[in-house]
Parts: sequence; structure tokens; C-alpha cells
Amino acid sequence: MISDRIRRSVRSELHSSRLAQVGLALVVVIVLMATLAPFIVPHHPEAQQVGTGDTEDRTNLPPIGFSTEHIQTTPDGQTEIVREGSLEHPMGTNTRGQDVFSRFVYGARVSLLVGLLGAGIATVLGVPYGLAAGYFGGRTDDALMRGADVMLAFPSLVLAIALVGVFRDSGFHTTGLPDPFVYAARHDILGWVIPRSDHVASMPSSVTFPVTVTLVVALVNWVWFARVARGEAISIRQQEYVKAAKSIGASHLTILRQHVLPNSLTPIIVLATIQVAAIILLESALSYLGFSGTTLTWGQDIARGQSDQRSQWWIATMPGLGIVFAVIGVNLIGDWLRDALDPSIEGEGGV
Amino acid sequence: MSDEELLRIEGLCTRFFTENGQVNAVENLDLTIDEGEVMGIVGESGSGKSVTALSLIDLVESPGRITDGRIWFRAPDIADELIESGADDEVTDGDFVDLRKLSEEQRRSLRGSRFSTIFQDPMSSFNPSITVGEQIAEAVEVQRRARANPRSLDAKAQRYGLGDYVLSTVLPSKKYVTGASRDRAVELLELVGIPDPVERADEYPHEYSGGMLQRAMIAQALAGEPEVLVADEPTTALDVTIQAQILDLLSKLQAETGMTILLITHNLGVIARMCDRVGVMYAGEIVERGTLEDVFDHPVHPYTRGLLGSVPDLEGAGGRLQPIPGNVPSLLDHEMPDRCYFADRCPKAMDECLEHPPAFDVEGSEYHTTKCYLATTEYTEEKALPDGYFDEAGRAADVGEEPSETETGIGTGTDSETETETEADSVQSDGGEPR
Amino acid sequence: MTANSSEPPSRTEATTRADDSPLVSVQNLEKYFFENDSLLDRLLGSDPVAVRAVDGVSFDVYRGETLGLVGESGCGKSTTGETLLRLQEPTGGRVEFDGRNIYDLGRSKLNAFRRDAQVVFQDPFSSLDPRMTVGSIVTQPLEIHDVGTKADREDRARDLLERVGLSADQLDRYPHEFSGGQRQRIGIARALALEPEFLVLDEPTSALDVSVQAQVLNLLDDLQDEFDLTYLLISHDLSVIRHVCDRVAVMYLGELAEVGPVETLFEDPKHPYTRALLESVPRASTDERDRDRETLSGDVPSPRDPPSGCRFRTRCPQVIPPADVEDELEQSTYRQIMNLRERIEAREITLEEVGVEGSGRSENDAGEATLAVGEDGLDESEIPAFVETMKDRLLADELPAGHDEIVTDALAELARRNWDGAADRLREEYESVCERVDPALEESGDARESGYRRRHPVACHLYGVGADPTSETQIPSPSSNADAE
Repeated sequence: MISDRIRRSVRSELHSSRLAQVGLALVVVIVLMATLAPFIVPHHPEAQQVGTGDTEDRTNLPPIGFSTEHIQTTPDGQTEIVREGSLEHPMGTNTRGQDVFSRFVYGARVSLLVGLLGAGIATVLGVPYGLAAGYFGGRTDDALMRGADVMLAFPSLVLAIALVGVFRDSGFHTTGLPDPFVYAARHDILGWVIPRSDHVASMPSSVTFPVTVTLVVALVNWVWFARVARGEAISIRQQEYVKAAKSIGASHLTILRQHVLPNSLTPIIVLATIQVAAIILLESALSYLGFSGTTLTWGQDIARGQSDQRSQWWIATMPGLGIVFAVIGVNLIGDWLRDALDPSIEGEGGV
Repeated sequence: MSDEELLRIEGLCTRFFTENGQVNAVENLDLTIDEGEVMGIVGESGSGKSVTALSLIDLVESPGRITDGRIWFRAPDIADELIESGADDEVTDGDFVDLRKLSEEQRRSLRGSRFSTIFQDPMSSFNPSITVGEQIAEAVEVQRRARANPRSLDAKAQRYGLGDYVLSTVLPSKKYVTGASRDRAVELLELVGIPDPVERADEYPHEYSGGMLQRAMIAQALAGEPEVLVADEPTTALDVTIQAQILDLLSKLQAETGMTILLITHNLGVIARMCDRVGVMYAGEIVERGTLEDVFDHPVHPYTRGLLGSVPDLEGAGGRLQPIPGNVPSLLDHEMPDRCYFADRCPKAMDECLEHPPAFDVEGSEYHTTKCYLATTEYTEEKALPDGYFDEAGRAADVGEEPSETETGIGTGTDSETETETEADSVQSDGGEPR
Repeated sequence: MTANSSEPPSRTEATTRADDSPLVSVQNLEKYFFENDSLLDRLLGSDPVAVRAVDGVSFDVYRGETLGLVGESGCGKSTTGETLLRLQEPTGGRVEFDGRNIYDLGRSKLNAFRRDAQVVFQDPFSSLDPRMTVGSIVTQPLEIHDVGTKADREDRARDLLERVGLSADQLDRYPHEFSGGQRQRIGIARALALEPEFLVLDEPTSALDVSVQAQVLNLLDDLQDEFDLTYLLISHDLSVIRHVCDRVAVMYLGELAEVGPVETLFEDPKHPYTRALLESVPRASTDERDRDRETLSGDVPSPRDPPSGCRFRTRCPQVIPPADVEDELEQSTYRQIMNLRERIEAREITLEEVGVEGSGRSENDAGEATLAVGEDGLDESEIPAFVETMKDRLLADELPAGHDEIVTDALAELARRNWDGAADRLREEYESVCERVDPALEESGDARESGYRRRHPVACHLYGVGADPTSETQIPSPSSNADAE
């Protein structure tokens, strides 16, 4: 399906475009970070150290290389407390003493999962829909696309909030995805492969995955896939090889599968990449507003850190940077694919 | 037709620098065009005929470049002016000036007033959102302003900046196009045989049929009363009945204005109908040229013969067609062997043909020349290259057949625009500079 | 290329082999496309506009022959080809293949038909899926019809590739690795994979260079002999048609103008359109410059709103005037009056600014007033000036006295803004049989009984036997017109 020509063009574009390299590096780092989270993080992302009981108060520590001073009033009078960032909490801690870096790393998991799955579901919904509309044309197209237009007419955030409102009390709202590394470490499976297995075993055993939010972002975004797929199908429908396939008696399904789908893949791949970024943003917005149902996401952390923005700027800034880097990285990859694939389509289609 | 030379092209080379390598679209081309004649260039797609036209009017676009050669154009006024300003022999030669040595601005000022072009696809040559009359009036206006300026080479009068544009949209009195130019546009439309020119001038390009638009494009080309009209496949996109109308129109205009026409086409019938002299192009060079009779009735080059033999005859069914075997060759520099480029398809390839032939004069006619050893040497069986000689050589160099068309980006169609665009795209997809 | 036959294959031989029942019989085929037919348009209540791409076309294709379908772009020839293969559903009419109406076929019968009738397309670039290898392109038909095993199919594909002049080891290459002519050969190989009886060749060589075109035409000729194929060759190129076909059908604006054996049709064309078409083609010979020819004026009318009666009448150099007019007016003068009337009917004449000085050709714009016809028309006193101006502008020739009067009357009506009155006045006097009655495609004279190979029907009133019984028009002899050329 992927010809040498495409492969060559993708490679040479990567070779010559600095931006594509940056994008790829960003995304690789984020993906590795999300996948290998239990090995990377120094602390359990949810562990609080507020100074009650036998734990030390480690709230509001600044990131490494920064220090804060504030006056604490105690019965003995006022003391000035200077807190220095330490290697133990490279990005500092939040108001509950949770390690910001650990949350940052774990937050990437949710964002990426929702982004990829959301875009995947949107593709699976939108592409066949759009291909069918474009390929059959006429009345079918009219009916299908007017339906899709109705979906577009809803403001996506409002639609998302409404759907979340419906599902948030059902058990369906979130689900725990077990972390295979932690499971392996705890049950001593392949213990010898897993470094620092005690540390890993102490990490959260599952990731709370926001099912509703994923479905919502897919529902909000599938129409774009349908529209792009339809446009492609319309132009491919008029190609003579489709007529030729009809004349040899190929069924509509065969034509769609053998000719229309493969030839419309390129713009869909480009769109899907860019949509991953859009979905990461939408997910952040939803969890910022408190709709996601998980507590360990970038958006949620921004919301929490927001009120202390002035004194503890790092709490909201770090997850914010995470969103920025993820979105920029994915978008750069989208641009790279677009630049690499589009001209080669023309080359292949033969001007 | 006066027998005075108007254009003399010497050793013109135009190359395209693509990611696949250097493409020699036009290779060492010599050509003279007399004043008032219709000169035809005929060739198949990928022969470089359109690039020749583009080179002449200085419209070769990146990654293409004219790398060598001179284009002498007879323009005594410009020559005088240049000599006054101290130009040397490199730039002028008597009444002739070398277009390639002129400055960008000077060259631009010649477009429209001395040279005009009509292209194959009139639909894409007009702006769909402006009326046809307005667009022709604009062309008239450009020329009128240029002429109003006594120093013809100073193109400043033609300049139309952003400020002027903004002003013209706000103040009607500052409009670029004047009423006089509009009247002239209507006259031009009438001249090219558009019925109801007054009404049609106010219509948009999509309201015109293909033939009408081609007429309108001719009207636009005539706006500056050019001395040379370069017609690049002017009738290829048209039906035969419309083609006949357009050819008649061109003949009529040529007779009336005495302008010189360089007609580029792949259609031998069109050449026969229109041209006084013909050049046959193959693989970037003119392989045979002469008067129409020389080339059509006494062709020497086997390619010319093959081309003529490939056309089915309308007058009689005849027997089997005599096609030229094989495909149009690749123009990639590293794949162009140092031999006659046609030898691998030639039925009369001989030992001599392994060396690239110079242009030979053919006896019996003053103007008839050909780049083929057959002009001087008799073909004999002994000298013939063995069958399959080039197959083996070719297979050794590159396994299988050359996908000459898409790979080089040259010659996917007769439309020169597509060619250059493809070139540009393929380079962009590489993202780097032409290597 | 193909070393199969050194001698030119005799066409008559091929046709004598055939029996006399047609393989494909197209009867009154119609295909309209509808514009403004979307959901929104229907909601807004706008009526769909019919584009009559094919409007009642009938012809037969006999076994073993090559029928050429020739016409200019937009005349409906490609739509005819696609509709008769049922790649598009027709609006009306029937197509019988081997005696069976293909539009009534059920699923399995239709599948069988698909095996027997194939098509080769014009564009060698868009007719092959860029993402499939040549092997899968050529084996696709076999796969769809479930022929043989995978290995069988690949063997067959190798054979086919060699048969069309490519090498069998190119099976796993992609189309972009081939040149235009080679791609067209791949397209032919795909069409031949199911061993069809009938091939529609839709402009198979128009995208190719002449030298390559000749290769492909020779190949098609060889294949026809080898596989007993019947061809319908659709082309705009008359010399290709002449070279390849046994019989020719000439199409104009969705209708057939003339059908006949290739020699007769090219040497003695009857329909004025066929004649004009043949004259328009520039010959590749040195005599071409001095060849006199009469070119058609004007453009092909839009198929959205085709002319009444004979479709060709708006461009025809031989429109039949009413009997009383015929002797008095030259054809060109008559044509001018017809054009004037057409423009009045279409209300295309600008009345707001009628320059008295005339056509704009004259340079003296020294303050001469222009006439503007207002809502209520011109003042009576200004009418003569208006009429003169209009005559100057719209008619090149002086009219004989009687006709001058009629035209003056009509233009005076126009000055009163009475468009219909002006048109009626002209129609009364000058309406031609060509615009009232659409001529049927009919055999003239005694040839009607001869075999299909010699039949030469024409859709033109010049030859129409009783085309319009109410008309007293004396039909001018076609030969006198032919001599005039």
C-alpha cells in the first residue's frame, strides 16, 4: 500500500525539514515518557505529603533551580521560610505535596490515549461515512452530509459538556486500565527484566481512562473526517479506473475497498495527525472544566494550580507546557506528512 | 513576407534542475525567423518545443533556467539606445540586440509590445472574476502607458504599485484602465470576430465558450500590436471546427498586420495549413528544418519521415500505419548518450550515428538542414548497426524501460505549464534546492 | 512491434465472417443529466434542468466490425459509450446485447454481460489505479469473476502483457513507471482479461503522441483479428476513424447526424455537418495551404437548451428557407435574418445605447446622439433612424425590396419594445422546415433494402423523404451544393 516513492518522499522531507525533526523528537519523547511512566517518575503521582501524620510537609516546593520565600506566622512569632527546589522534586510539588513531575509524566498518558483513541474512533466513524456519501453521490450524499452538517452546527464544547453530563454518573464514565509494568513488578513476572521493580511496584496499578470524554471528542471530530473522505471519494469516483472497475463487474464494496479507500488515505492520515493535536487540546479543556472524571490529567492540574498561579506558578505551568509541547509536536508531524505526501500523490497519479 | 531576419537564436540551452538530475529540455538550438513569416515548430510531447517558446519570451520558471545561447532580436531603436549608453558588441550586433543580455526590466517592457503569447488553455489564462473586456483593456492600458513614455526601455510607466491599487478601488477617477482602453478592447474583440463585442466585453470568462475565449486571448495578445506572436499549441484544446475558425483568424490577422508568428504544435495538419517554414524537434533539438515543402515532401531525417508516416490519412484508408517504435527518450542529462538521440528508434541507424551529428545542409534547397548523417552518407546494409544494439546497451545502463514521462516531469502533456509545475513540485517535495 | 501479420489485414474479410444480426443494438437511447437537483434545490423549489447529453440515439454494431462514433467534445459520444455498457443508467431507450436488453438484466446475467463487454478509456493516467501494481490491475477482472487460481491468473496476466507488447516481468511495477503508450497497453490488457466479445474504445489514442498512437492503433487492429473482437471506437479524430473503422456514426449535440460505411461517408458525406467536419480537418500535406474550405461559424449550442428542429440548424450552411424566400435570398443573407431573429427571441440585443453612427467601426463620434429605447419604446419619429442603425449593425448585406420591408417592420416593433411582435413578424416569413421538424435518421431512396454494410441513413431535411408532409418546400438538390464547394 505504501510505495517506495512515498517512503522516499517522507524520508527526504524529514531529512530536510528542521521543524519535522523537532516535531518527531517531541512526540517520541512524549510517547516514551507516557509509556514508561512508572520507571521515570520519582514519586507516586497521587501521594500527598502535607505534613500531617508522620510525613514531612513538602507542599509548594519550587522546581529545581528556583527558590521561594514566605513569612510563616507561628505561635513563636514570624519566621521566614526559604524553600529551595531539589532534585527530588525536579518540577516542584503542588499544594498537596504531590510531585509535579510525576503528575506531568502520568498526565501525558491520558492526553495521548485520549488523543490517539479519539482520533482513531473519529476516523473509523467518519471515513466510511464520508466515502459512502461521496462515492454514491446524489440523494445518498445529500442525506448523509446534511446529517453531518447538523453535527457540525453544535459548538463542540457545549456538545461535549452535554454528553458528559448524561454519562458522568454511569459506571461507563471512566475505566481503569491496568498498567502492565506495575502488574508485572507486583506479581514478580519477568521480575528480572524490570529494573527497580520495587519502585515500579509502588506506582499506581492502573490509569483512569476517561471513556466518555474519548467518545465525546470522537463524536465532535468525526465530521471532519467524513468531509475530507467525501471530497476524496468524489474526485476518485470520476477517475477512469473506477469506471473500469465497474465495467468489469466489481461491486460497490469492492470498488470502495480496493480503489476509493487506498487512494484517499493520504489526506486522511494527515488530517488524523492534526486531529490528534486538536483532540488533546479539547481533552485538556474538558478536564480543566472538570468533566473528565480522572484526577490525573494536564487539564485538571492546570485548573488546580490556577488559583495559586501568582505564588506557585509551576503547578499550572508545567502541565501547560506539556499540552503545548504535545500539540506542537503532533502538529509538526502533521505538517511533515502533509508536505511529504501531497506532492507525491500528484506524482503517482500522474499529473 | 520580407526576407529580413527578425529573430536569430544561437545555441540556446534550457535546462531544468530536478531532484532526478539535470533535464536538457532544449539543447543547443539554432533557429532564425524572418519578418512576417509563420514559422512552425512541431514535435511530440517532451520534445522541448514548449520550453523553446518559453525561453524565447523569457518565461522559463524555476527549476528551469536558460543556461546558454543568444537570442538576437532585430530592434534598431533599442540597439541605438543601447549603443548610446555604451553597450558593447556582446549586447548589440548591428540592429540586433541579445535579449538575454538586457536587464530584467528591459525584457519585461518588450513583452506585449514586441512579443505576445497565446497559450493552449484559454480558460486558465483569464482571471475568472474579472470581465473579459476589462482584462483586455488592462493589457491595452499597460501598452498605452509604456508608449506614452518616450524612453521605451524605461518600464517605470508600467509600474502599478499597491498604493495605486488601493487608490483605484476607492477613487473611481484613479482607475487604472481608462475609457479609451476599454473602447480599444471592444475594437480588438471585434477584430478577432467575436459577435456583439460591446455586450460580450462585459461578460466573464466562464460565459465564453472555448473557441471564443481563444479569440479573446488572441485579442489580448494583439493589444500591444506585437511584432512577434508566439502561439503555443493555440488550437490543441479545441474541436476541429473551432480549430479551423481560429486558424483562419490567425491567417487573416497575420495577413493584415504582417506580424511574425512562431507556431508551436504537435499537429502536422496545423503546421501544413499555417506555416511557411518548419522546424521538427526531437529530444530538445531541431533535427530537421526547412520550408514546408522541404520538410513535408522531401524529409531526410528518419524521425520526420516516421512522424509523417504515423499520421493516419484522411483521404484514403491506406494500409497499416508505420509507427516509430519505442518511446520518447529521457532528457535526463546523465541518460543522454553522446550519439544521435534518435538512433535507438531509427530504422536506419548506422555506425556514424554513434557520434552526435551536426547540422548538415541538404542539397536542393537553401534553407533545408538536418541533424542526420543521411544528408551526406548513403545508408547501406553493411554500415547498419545490428538489431537490438541499443536494447543491450540500454539494459546495461538501466534495467527495464525508462518511465521517461513522469520521472523527468517533462512531457506528460503538451501543456508546458503542467510540465514546469510538475518540476517545481517534485523539487519541493524534496524540500531542498535543486541539485 | 507485433510480428503477427506483415500484410495489412483485410477488413472485408473480417466482415464477411460476421453474420447479419447485430451484436449490439442501441434503440432510442436517452441519457439526461439533471442540474439543480440537490436536496436544497428541491426545498427551494427550483426545477431541475435537464442536460440532454444523449437524446434518442439508435444504431447497431455488427459482429466483427468496428463502428466509429465521431463528434466534437460535448456531443454525447462518451456518454453513449458508457450508457450502452450500463456504467450509467439510461433515462430512456434500450440496448440489446446479443438480443437481450441489458437494462433488464438481473445480477447474474449482468455479470455475464460484464464479461462480454469491456471498455478502454482515454486517459492513460487516470484509468489505472496508481496504488495497484500492473499485475493486480490486469488480474482484477479475473479475481472479481473468480476465474482460476491465483497462479492461473498471474500466468494469464503475463500472457496478456506480452500480447499487448509489454514484457511479462513488469507485473509488479506501478503504473507511474510507465509511459502513456505503455499505460494504454496495460488498459487494453485489462479489458482483454475476460475474453470479451465487444470492446468500447473511448478515445483510446487521443492522449498519445502520433507515433505512439500509430503503435496502439496497429495493436488494436491485430487484437481484433486475433480475438474476433467487435469494436465501438469513440473518437473526435476523423483520420483515426477513417483508418480504423468499417462504419461510422456522426454525432452532433446528442443526436446522430449520419451513419454510413466509412468510404462512402468520407468520400460522399451527405449531412452538412459531416461535410463541414471533414473540411475542417487540416491535412498533413503541402497542398493544405491552398485547399479551400468552408469553416462552420459559431459554437455548438448548449445541450441544456438545444435548438428546436434540427440541432445543427444554427450553424448549418444549408438551412432550407421557405419556398418563396429561397429564390430571392442568398443563403448567407437568409442566415443573417435567421440570426437576427434568434437574437430577438433570446432578447440579446441591447436597446439602451444604440449609437446612430453605427457599428462602432466608424471613427466619427463627433457628437452624434445615441438612441435609448426606454420602457415605452422610442418616439415614432425616431423609429426610422433606429431601424437604419440596427440594420447597419446587424445585417451585412442589402436586402431585396420585399424582404427589406419585412425586416424594417420587425425592427420597428423592436423600437416599440415589442420583442414578441418583432420575432413573430420574422418567423411568419422566414421560418424554416429545419427549425420546425427534427429530421429523423432515415435512409433515402432505394438503398433501404441493401445490407447493413451499405446502409447510409442521414438525419437532414435536404434528403428527407417526406420529412414534413405539410411543407411545400422544394428540396434543393444536394449535388448542386456539393458542386459549389
